[in-house]
Amino acid sequence: MSRFRTVRGARIAWPAGVAAAALLCGLTVWSVWSYVHTRGDDALRYGKARDSVLAAGQRDIARLNTVDPAHLDRDLDGWLATTTGPLHDQLRRTQSQDAATLKASGTATRGTVTDAAVTELDDRAGTAKVIATVQVRLTPNSGAAATTDRKRFEADLARTQGGWKLAALTAVPVGAS
Amino acid sequence: MTTTENPSSATRADAPQRGAGNCASDHDEAAGRHRPEGADEAVSGPPAGGGLSAQFLPQSSAWEVPPVPSSADPGPQEDPADRGSGRARTWWGAVRGASWRRYAAAAAIAALLLCSGGLLYATQQLKDPAATDNRALTDTAATDQVTGEVSSALTRIFAYTPTDTQSTAQAARDVLAGSAASQYQKLFGQIRQQVTTQQLTLTTRVVRAGVVTLTAHRARLLVFLDQTAQRAGGTATSAAAQLSVTAEYRAGHWRITELKAR
Repeated sequence: MSRFRTVRGARIAWPAGVAAAALLCGLTVWSVWSYVHTRGDDALRYGKARDSVLAAGQRDIARLNTVDPAHLDRDLDGWLATTTGPLHDQLRRTQSQDAATLKASGTATRGTVTDAAVTELDDRAGTAKVIATVQVRLTPNSGAAATTDRKRFEADLARTQGGWKLAALTAVPVGAS
Repeated sequence: MTTTENPSSATRADAPQRGAGNCASDHDEAAGRHRPEGADEAVSGPPAGGGLSAQFLPQSSAWEVPPVPSSADPGPQEDPADRGSGRARTWWGAVRGASWRRYAAAAAIAALLLCSGGLLYATQQLKDPAATDNRALTDTAATDQVTGEVSSALTRIFAYTPTDTQSTAQAARDVLAGSAASQYQKLFGQIRQQVTTQQLTLTTRVVRAGVVTLTAHRARLLVFLDQTAQRAGGTATSAAAQLSVTAEYRAGHWRITELKAR
């Protein structure tokens, strides 16, 4: 009796085992393929780079429009931390001078990026351009009412070890090319 | 080669026959003593019943017969594997003999499953639907198209001369839709009279434009504009304007559905 059961069981078990093994191999091959495919997806990488450029641009442009005379050192160090290249060099050169000017004026500014867009992105070179509109709230030291200023900026960003950072920040004036 | 092989194969073919004969006689004599010991060794737990039956049932000796010729010359250590290659009662022996294979298979299955699971998880981590769904800049042709169409739409609707407000109104009907259309109609209705009475001219130039998000049917843009207004005989004054634009793709063209000053 046991022999027949065994033989019949083996007859069923074999194809089932082979099918399961084939399925498992298929699953493995598919998962490897999808990983390799996703890893090598240029559009995905480019899209992610664009999103990080936009996020970094928004954050850093707001930061460079924000300064509190009560925490000058912290804010000016923050400016250096969010910049790279020529802008970084310039800020470092003028740091003491900027600090003196800002301390003298005593006006606190708080910048908020109201909208921003990436206009150029070279993923390989690690350079990008961002445009942004900024609302700057100025609170004078004198106790006068705060005023709001609207500005529009164009920023150059560069990819660094610490992520995307501002390499240039310029206001776009009326009549700009 | 063939000459050397032939004799050796002949001798090898001879040997098992002799061996089988020996072995068969061994088994016949020692069947009673030998078997139960082997079964006790091979079997632990549930199969004991099988072992007992092998001991006591008369069939056991009958079952023993078929494997005997095939068991040939292997030594006593190879007995369990031997029984596996035979049939029936030898099944448990086969299970035991092949158990390392089962462990290996289970390990391989677990490894493959873990590997697949890990890879699929890593793939999921790599994926970023928000980044892939947004075709701004990744699809350069579509990005250029929406930038171009929205820019030209804005320069058309924010431009008029004292003699021609008609084409401005027409442009607005062409390129605006939704809340942007109603908002524009209200404003333009208010200034339309002044344009002719005060001889106003307005021109608009797009300075910068960037696409924030772009899908097949919807786009968000940020546009920097320079607007130059002039009263007849007066000097022109220029002002900066920034607009957040929402556009929808309808009938092959992008139509502006929302405008927000920044």
